Amino acid sequence: MAALPSGAPAPTPGWGAPASASGSALQVDGISKAFGDVQALAAVSFSVASGEIVGLLGPNGAGKSTTMRAILGLVQADTGEIRLFGRNVAADPEATKRQVGYVPESPALYEFLTGAEYLDFVADMYGLDPKTRADRIQQYLTGFELAGHENSLISGYSQGMKQKVALIAALSHHPKLLLLDEPLNGLDPRSARITKDLLRSLASHERVAVLFSTHVLEIAQAICDRIVILDRGHVLASGTVAALRDRAGLSGRDLEEVFLALTGTGDLRDVVDALSR
Amino acid sequence: MSLHRVRRIADTLIASQLRSGRSGSDPKSFFGRPALIGLIDGGLFLTALGLATVSLDESHLSASQLASLTSSFLPFVPLIAVGVVLVAGLMFELTTTAKFAASDAANWLPISPGEYLGASVSAIAYTYSPAVALTLGGLLPFAYLGGNVPLYAATAAFAVAALVEGAILVEMVRAATQRTSSITAGRRGQVNLVLRAFVLVLVILLLELAFNPVFLIGIAQRLSTVAVVTAVIPFFWSTESLTQWAGGNLNVGAGFAVAQLAFIAALGYLAVDLRERNWVPTPTEVRLEAHRYAARNPLLALFGLSAAESALVAKDLKGLLRRREMLPTLVIPVVLVVLVVAEGGALGGPVSVVWIGWVAGFFSLLVAGTSIGQERRALQLLYAFPLSPRIVLRAKAAFVLVPSIVVALGLSVVVGLFFGLPPAVFLGVLLLVVTVSVVLTFWGLAFASRYSDFQERPRPQFLRPGGMLVATGSGMALLFAILIPGAVALLYPSGFSVPLGLMGVGIALITGSVAVSWTRSGFEQLFRELPF
Repeated sequence: MAALPSGAPAPTPGWGAPASASGSALQVDGISKAFGDVQALAAVSFSVASGEIVGLLGPNGAGKSTTMRAILGLVQADTGEIRLFGRNVAADPEATKRQVGYVPESPALYEFLTGAEYLDFVADMYGLDPKTRADRIQQYLTGFELAGHENSLISGYSQGMKQKVALIAALSHHPKLLLLDEPLNGLDPRSARITKDLLRSLASHERVAVLFSTHVLEIAQAICDRIVILDRGHVLASGTVAALRDRAGLSGRDLEEVFLALTGTGDLRDVVDALSR
Repeated sequence: MSLHRVRRIADTLIASQLRSGRSGSDPKSFFGRPALIGLIDGGLFLTALGLATVSLDESHLSASQLASLTSSFLPFVPLIAVGVVLVAGLMFELTTTAKFAASDAANWLPISPGEYLGASVSAIAYTYSPAVALTLGGLLPFAYLGGNVPLYAATAAFAVAALVEGAILVEMVRAATQRTSSITAGRRGQVNLVLRAFVLVLVILLLELAFNPVFLIGIAQRLSTVAVVTAVIPFFWSTESLTQWAGGNLNVGAGFAVAQLAFIAALGYLAVDLRERNWVPTPTEVRLEAHRYAARNPLLALFGLSAAESALVAKDLKGLLRRREMLPTLVIPVVLVVLVVAEGGALGGPVSVVWIGWVAGFFSLLVAGTSIGQERRALQLLYAFPLSPRIVLRAKAAFVLVPSIVVALGLSVVVGLFFGLPPAVFLGVLLLVVTVSVVLTFWGLAFASRYSDFQERPRPQFLRPGGMLVATGSGMALLFAILIPGAVALLYPSGFSVPLGLMGVGIALITGSVAVSWTRSGFEQLFRELPF
């Protein structure tokens, strides 16, 4: 296991990568979704293998959150198929959800509960026994520096503390796939570093598949094995950072420049000039 | 104070109330614009006017009879206006989440507390103006033919002032309940939460009763010196002014009118002060005792609930007691009971059974109606967890039934003891009241699964307005359809008792089955796709 920063919650045994861990953990095949006249997703296809971290990038409104919601069954795709460890997600949504840990873009927690009560509630949803849940929750609370705050109502937490609670809730049942929509929002640098290192460690050592979206391209560049760039509901490009650089003809440049070139938003001077007038 | 700013904020607050659900969210839709309420006002006024004109043609009342009738009734219109705003305000205006109640959405803008209060009060008064439009429309032909047009005009002016007065009081309750979090801060654990809930309930209850026309009139009727009572309670000054005017005492009437306006101005001043003090509420950290992790609530497990279902029920029950926006729900049965008692004369025999059944059933309907919408955006959690719609349905039904059965049992015991009912009759009453609670629970859940509003807005609702109206109207009809035959059969034994009892049981069984079936299909539909 990779060394974690001091206090980082080390993944506990029992993540249990499935027998098909060597293949695709998640396979998204040609999913489309329209909300009225708006085509949110158009034939989106990609895959995430066990032990792989895939970054989902794209401008605002590109369809990143809708893709994650579709994988979890929160929205029904109009066409296409999503398979998790070879099983059709639509056929058995509850079994699918048991294997997934999800952090939504804006975590809506039950703020009238304390952090501990909320995490206990989530543990009940996944059927964790009392000893396991107590051990795991305490471990994560300590790692994310929330220990000592767990008995306060969530309504009094800062945004970063709420984000940490959402992350712990997604991790505590040891899922095989993590769907993380902007998971580092509001986190302080130390917690963000812990999260990044933890994701890397979970992918490398526990074969957990991770799909996460972010607007912070340095982070995507640093921890993702592959990148999928969405734009207006279409997959614009996918591959390793190096492959994307080659495709954009920007060898040696950072991911930000590659992203801006591929999404056609590279030349920002006119915009900045107009705004600063 | 900038009136332009006040109007813009008021427009936003009204729009936020109108734009609930998916269809109303379309900003281009007329149904999401404040002008809609003006149109409803006009429509209701004209409809009531037409109906009253037709009924007057058939009544053959003389001009003097109409004059007497309108002189007696018109003075009470302002009281009705305040009552409507207060009762509706208690139910629908205090549901604002803490984020918006603290005016987070507005308090960074360069606006004063007075401007915000003016806008909020205008929005509330305008929202509930259809009740006044309806009343005034219906009274106009009576006043016109009775030669009481000047009194009618004064009544209309006082009614508008009363809407404002009611809206200011609602704002004061809002600010006062905001304040309670700070009052209870510093006390540890459950004591803090219980104290906070108690203070909130007490504040809402006291203000609701202190300014409730039905309650005040009930009290006044019991006192021999009604005139003295109405003269010293500012709430009655509009009525007193109009009464004096109708009796020819113009100077005394004018005095009461000035006093009434001064009272509203003073209330406004106090409300601005309260708002100012709570503009940025003191953030309080509520800390509880160390949590003990457990797989299942043993008490809820007794009722056959799984660990996930128990956790959902326990979560919702905590929310009912801890969330500021949920506490008015708990106050409603208390207010209704107090109002029924204040009415006094209505109690006795089957009427009392119908009343307590109505209170219990209405409470069930209300809690059930709020049970899904209160999830707000956190509803997405229920979709993300490995839960079937059936599990959520069972948990929501159990959550509603727990407080509903407690209220039903409590009210039945009180009535049983108060009237000294024989054991067999008492058991019958108990069964009847519990039955309506169960039926209305599923009736409310059927609507909640279809018409819940999950939006986080400055003026949020738990149910979308259309669903709320239909649920309340049909629920009331259902309640009386079960309760009246049941109560008569139980308390007036006769040859009709058995058929009446069977009728009540039949209605309960049929509507209960329909409600359960609708609830199931509603939950299946709801959990197919996240509605936002």
